[in-house]
Amino acid sequence: MACGGAYVTGDGRAQLGQPAEDGQPAAVTLPAAAARIRSFSFHGDAVEALRDVQLAVLPGTLTAVLGGSGSGKTTLGKLIAGWLRGGHSGVLRGSLALGADRLEFHGGSGDPRINPAAWSGRVGYVPQDAAAMLSSVRSTVAEELAFGLENRGVPRLEMIRQVARIAEQTGLSGLLERDPAELSGGELRRLAVACAAIADPEVLVLDEPLASLDADGASQLRTLVDRLLDAGTAVVLLSQTADALARSAGHWIVLNGGTVTAEGPPAELGNGAALRDAGVVAEGLPAGTPGDLPLAAASTPVLELRGIGFGYGSGETRGARSARGPAGVVPPVALLRDLDLTVRPGEIVAITGPNGTGKSTLLRHFNGLLRPQAGEVRVEGGGIDRIPTGRIAASVGMLFQQPRDQLFERTVLREVGFGLRRLAGAEAAAGRAQEALAAVGLSDAAQAHPAELPSSRQRLLALATVLARRPAVIALDEPTVGLDRHGLERLQHAIAAAAARGAGVVLVTHDLAYARANAQRILALDGGSLREI
Amino acid sequence: MRLHPLTALTAACCAAVMTTAAGSWPLSVAVALAAVLLAARTGVAARVLLAAGVILAPLFLSLLVLHGLFFPEGHTVLAQWGPARVTAEGLGFALELASRTAACVLLLLLFSFTVSVPDLLTALAARRIPPQFSFVLAATLTLVPAMAERLEKIRQAQEARGLVVGRGLLSRLAAARLQAVPLVLGLVEDAGLRAQALDARGFGTTGPRTSYRQLQDPPAQRIFRATALLLAAAAVVLRLSTAWPAAVPT
Amino acid sequence: MSPQSLTLPDAGSRTGAGTAPGRRRLLEIAGATAIAATYVFLVLTQPVEIANGPASFSALVALGGFLLGAVLLLVAVLPVLPTSTLVLMPVAIVLNVVLGQLMGSTGLPFYLDAIGTVLIAVLAGPAAGAATGVLGSIVWSFFNPTVLPFAAGAALIGFLAGLAARGGLFRRFYLAPVAGFLTGILAGVVSAPIAAFVYGGTAGLGTGAIVSAFRAMGDTLLAAITKQALISDPMDKAIVFTIAALLAYALPRRTTFQFAFVRRFRVLAGKLPADPAA
Repeated sequence: MACGGAYVTGDGRAQLGQPAEDGQPAAVTLPAAAARIRSFSFHGDAVEALRDVQLAVLPGTLTAVLGGSGSGKTTLGKLIAGWLRGGHSGVLRGSLALGADRLEFHGGSGDPRINPAAWSGRVGYVPQDAAAMLSSVRSTVAEELAFGLENRGVPRLEMIRQVARIAEQTGLSGLLERDPAELSGGELRRLAVACAAIADPEVLVLDEPLASLDADGASQLRTLVDRLLDAGTAVVLLSQTADALARSAGHWIVLNGGTVTAEGPPAELGNGAALRDAGVVAEGLPAGTPGDLPLAAASTPVLELRGIGFGYGSGETRGARSARGPAGVVPPVALLRDLDLTVRPGEIVAITGPNGTGKSTLLRHFNGLLRPQAGEVRVEGGGIDRIPTGRIAASVGMLFQQPRDQLFERTVLREVGFGLRRLAGAEAAAGRAQEALAAVGLSDAAQAHPAELPSSRQRLLALATVLARRPAVIALDEPTVGLDRHGLERLQHAIAAAAARGAGVVLVTHDLAYARANAQRILALDGGSLREI
Repeated sequence: MRLHPLTALTAACCAAVMTTAAGSWPLSVAVALAAVLLAARTGVAARVLLAAGVILAPLFLSLLVLHGLFFPEGHTVLAQWGPARVTAEGLGFALELASRTAACVLLLLLFSFTVSVPDLLTALAARRIPPQFSFVLAATLTLVPAMAERLEKIRQAQEARGLVVGRGLLSRLAAARLQAVPLVLGLVEDAGLRAQALDARGFGTTGPRTSYRQLQDPPAQRIFRATALLLAAAAVVLRLSTAWPAAVPT
Repeated sequence: MSPQSLTLPDAGSRTGAGTAPGRRRLLEIAGATAIAATYVFLVLTQPVEIANGPASFSALVALGGFLLGAVLLLVAVLPVLPTSTLVLMPVAIVLNVVLGQLMGSTGLPFYLDAIGTVLIAVLAGPAAGAATGVLGSIVWSFFNPTVLPFAAGAALIGFLAGLAARGGLFRRFYLAPVAGFLTGILAGVVSAPIAAFVYGGTAGLGTGAIVSAFRAMGDTLLAAITKQALISDPMDKAIVFTIAALLAYALPRRTTFQFAFVRRFRVLAGKLPADPAA
């Protein structure tokens, strides 16, 4: 076996750990946690999710595990934290060590059974979907924080003290009486970290902690990570982006296809081939080539919006979030006002703007999911006023933020082929489905279950279902979120190919850099209408 | 003063049991009216009446048709069309059962529409009710609105993929299947992740638990609860003992 | 926080205290007995009762006996269910209603209100199914108190669905409706006294018409409602089991194989993958 014996010595000391930052030699510091995973596979899976992965983290250090979607980062993080357990969740061979405590797994029935409650007192894990961390049965942030303590029978006065302490540390002090369901993305992420950190673990594993946070939320989270490191907590960061937080790590481990392809200090790995092959997104997205694309000729527009006006009713909750009237009044705000948009064949248009300005609302007008209260939407020259969405879909393909909602078939191929027969005839349907899968790089996964694909490939599959129908207009809602480097490249090619074929592409993104690199025209949604930037 | 949730629950349940035990329609109607009055005072009358109406209207109609027209045990025939006979006994029986069910439904809805769920959970935890029970109760109540939102999202996403729901039964069945799959899949996956999180937060442990939230339970309310329980038990015993000789064949 | 052991005791002694499993078994038996005894008692006493005016006596016995049985079963089962099963229960309870409505929108004349319960029984076994039935009735009575008395019937459906899954009836698509049909017969018969004595009839107009027809022929109320249940329930449950089976087949393997019950009894078709190292 490749990872023979020399990794963790009999007394559990690290041989492999990164150089400790305080200059102490690593060999005498006991790692806070060490994992030597020979193999791990989920029940019911023939393929191993992880093989030959070793990791040791020292107190007070930041370690980044980098890899693309489906590389096994999350599986590794959950194994270290006892969220996935040998025997319970799959077959594990290897060893896990916390300080001097060490467990050996042989993949048999005699293996030790991890006690998740005790284990998580020493290694905490915060999932990418922060809401999943919450119990969902507590009505205030303070009670949510106390949930783990209640289960462990901590006396009430001690609980109140600890809740106050962790709230102070994570910047939640002002939110203690709020309903957890009403927190913003950044606040929710901090609450999830606090729920894990309240047990005072020696190691904290953070899964994509910055994903879909705005600049403000991200900087607050960075402060929190720094505080945890100062307090001596070992932090393990799982990420598919080599961002500033990842670059501040002392040690990188690059995962690809469930195994380690490179490791070392960030300076050494830099922007190397291993990182690229693994699908890790470098800070600053791959530069696009909008200049190479033929500029749209002055032909008939594929999509035209004329004088669109729309607002959610004042009583509706959906409207309340984006309606920030003066002095807290919630008027029936017109989200879109006298908005015009023309998209010609072969044109790629990006619409940007901060959260809550109505970008997604605007997108939903293209195919009639929302109907304008004023003005008119024309697709390929015809009004769509009385046509049901399901029919407009033949001309307007739309990719949503959450791909899971769009997928319902048993195999990837059936998913792409859904409804194609009726649209293109039996003979053309099979070819088109294959072609669309090839365009997003999913030809090898044609027989896989859509739900078993990693999230990045799920989005690409959803994109393929749109491409296969060859719509005249393609509308994409935040297409870059959650895509790894491979996914971003596929997306870019697919968009360029669709535009070259003569489709009009509209993409909505909060990422101005991406919009600049990939669109010929950038529009900002501001005050309910669009302006060129 | 705010009612302890268990006091409200005890009051609603005991009143329902006593109404059932009494088995007299004037009392049932009086209890139902009292429940509506209380609902009006707490400002939930509209919701309680709407929910009760949806539940009770089909039942009332069904009872009226069933016992109003077909009651073989009835003697006093008021009208007759072929096999259908309107009897005084049948109508009385329908009135009896309808008023009793209405009273019980209104009482319990009044409770569930006025109780503070977090307080109820705290009270249950303090009474050493298994935390699993409270979890399922609270998680279901949280999930109901979330589910509706989710189903709407799925419907939109699928329509955007060209799903047209036709008028035919088969078309609608197919559409229902396509919507159900991502719904169930998403919920089951989320549940799996939540189970891991709950286990990590000690939910699966068996030891004693404590409660962060605290609840006032004044002695007067405890006395009231004990009294109500005693009265309900007495009513049941009284009904059982008086009806027993007649009801059990010897 | 007292330092806990990082590992759990061996699987063999997982239930901890030695007397607990025995006590649980006792509670289960007591619960099942309470339900069965109540049913037998009601069937024996009902001919006298209906002539005797209001059905208070039988209503109290039916409510008390069935609820007591359901609660005993719940107390026996709930504490030993793993968290992964527990988190599915809210999902199942809401699915019961939402899928019932979704299917209801297709215009089929059935209630289809146990899809979630059956699905959980297929994934997690008879105990989980029974507990979901009871808890579902209790929780749903927050919105509709009239479902509460049917808790015992709902438990029976969940329990029988779990047994059918264990016996391999969900491995083949055409066996699931057969299991559902048989479950429907039993569940319908057990729930009939509740409909008869607590509500004096059924809530639906279609079912009400069937009961009326039997009453017109001179049947007692309980007999008429039991016969009506024997007409509607088996068909209804056959459909419910089929839908639950279809949903279970649509779930990816990694999801269904999370459940030890599915792995151990090979509940769904398909073999375990060969162990990579074995």
